[in-house]
Amino acid sequence: MAEDTVITDPVTAAEDRLKTLTKVMTTKAPIAQTPKELVWTLNKSKLYRYIPVLPKEKRHPIPVLLVFALMNRPYILDLRRGHSFVEYMLNKGYDLYLLDWGAPGPEDKNLRFDDYTLDYMPRAIRKLKAISGVEEFSLLGWCIGAILTTIYAALRGDEGLRNLILLTAPLDFSNKQDLTFARWTDERYFDVDKVLATFGNMPGEMIDYGAKALKPVENYIGNYVKLWDNIDDPRMVEAWHAMNTWVTDNVPLAGGVFRQLIVDLYRDDKLMRGELVIRGERVEISRIHANLLTVIAEGDHITPSCQSEPIMSKVSSADKELFRVKGGHIGIMAGSGASKYTWPHIDGWLASRSR
Amino acid sequence: MAEDPTHDGKRVDPMEPWRGMRDIYMAAWGKTMVDMVNSEAYAQATGAMLDTYMTVSAPFREAVEKAMLKTLEQLAMPSKADVVSIAERMTNIEMRLDDLDAKLDNIQRLIVHAGAAPRPQAGNAPQPSKEKTTKAKQAKKGKR
Repeated sequence: MAEDTVITDPVTAAEDRLKTLTKVMTTKAPIAQTPKELVWTLNKSKLYRYIPVLPKEKRHPIPVLLVFALMNRPYILDLRRGHSFVEYMLNKGYDLYLLDWGAPGPEDKNLRFDDYTLDYMPRAIRKLKAISGVEEFSLLGWCIGAILTTIYAALRGDEGLRNLILLTAPLDFSNKQDLTFARWTDERYFDVDKVLATFGNMPGEMIDYGAKALKPVENYIGNYVKLWDNIDDPRMVEAWHAMNTWVTDNVPLAGGVFRQLIVDLYRDDKLMRGELVIRGERVEISRIHANLLTVIAEGDHITPSCQSEPIMSKVSSADKELFRVKGGHIGIMAGSGASKYTWPHIDGWLASRSR
Repeated sequence: MAEDPTHDGKRVDPMEPWRGMRDIYMAAWGKTMVDMVNSEAYAQATGAMLDTYMTVSAPFREAVEKAMLKTLEQLAMPSKADVVSIAERMTNIEMRLDDLDAKLDNIQRLIVHAGAAPRPQAGNAPQPSKEKTTKAKQAKKGKR
């Protein structure tokens, strides 16, 4: 390697490290680079279609809609060139669409799961069908996006949903002992109505704090120690920079949804108990008939496996699979092992069901 | 950094043992902190802190909001509530536009299907005469 022949002045080396550190801490990495076109908008929500890279005859006919969480930016799915799930799937011949929820403003504080699943999603899906010219489609939901896609699948699954992929889906809230968020938002300690009366929407910074505080040393110290240890490795620095750009780009959560998440799900576990009512319709998981792939991250501290597993026995899907993969909540899709394990598995599962 | 090559070509990093100790310490610390944030006491403490913040800040926030509202009124400028109301109406209009878009897409689809349907046989349907077609073409040319 170069370091065998080039003698680096320690002062210059320290200066270079400091420059790199300043750069990654104060700038945004180039993210979401895969070309896409905006095909539909409603309020803050946008539907993008990624420009296909394969000719039509080599593509899978069934389009795929990516639905990410409401309180984070969806470009985690297209983080950086050479390490992007979107790029990977386009190269595998999928017609990919991304539903970006945007950042809710004060006028959106009353938005609920009802609005997202019965107004926004059906409209975006209608547009997807009109553009692709195909009546069937696949849905991939991640984190809170998986809650939305599950509710949609239970209420409107008969409108062309062929395949449902749930990534780290927080659906079952019965095991309170293993859910730190459930403990924090217990009604004895957390007054959700007072919080929403104060803030309107749940501020992104508070959500970010909640996620990071689950592993405080790792997130607030270890993360930066890891960067410093690898500061001379451009590839590691690039990956860290991109991830840090995403992590620090927080989005508020609409007040109505936050209230439903805490009260109806974390406290009352209404979704799995079949008591969740969306615009007068009871959400019955057993009404899901689509082919189902549930992906569980074994090291997930945000959505432990006990939240994602129970759906497997409740759906009516004849074709269903539970896939466990090593990694954390985000790492399984955006970490270094994602392209070796999670992405190929999703592609393998979806390809045979997209003909 | 002070790195010296050894005989086997690898470099010795004198900080490596320190890093190892640091990692062990951080792992232990991390585990202790995870246990702490998982406790009822932590949930109770953070809940109390948040509640205190909201209670204490409420009068100030309300005072600022009232003052801002009066100022905006004096300046004949829209308040936050006005902007929110307009934004809500805009979303409503967008939904109506989306409904129209859906109908247009449906009409377009029906037209495409109708175009793709087999044409009626020559004997069954009236056909435009060649003369008429020629005249129509001439009229179009004249317009240009």
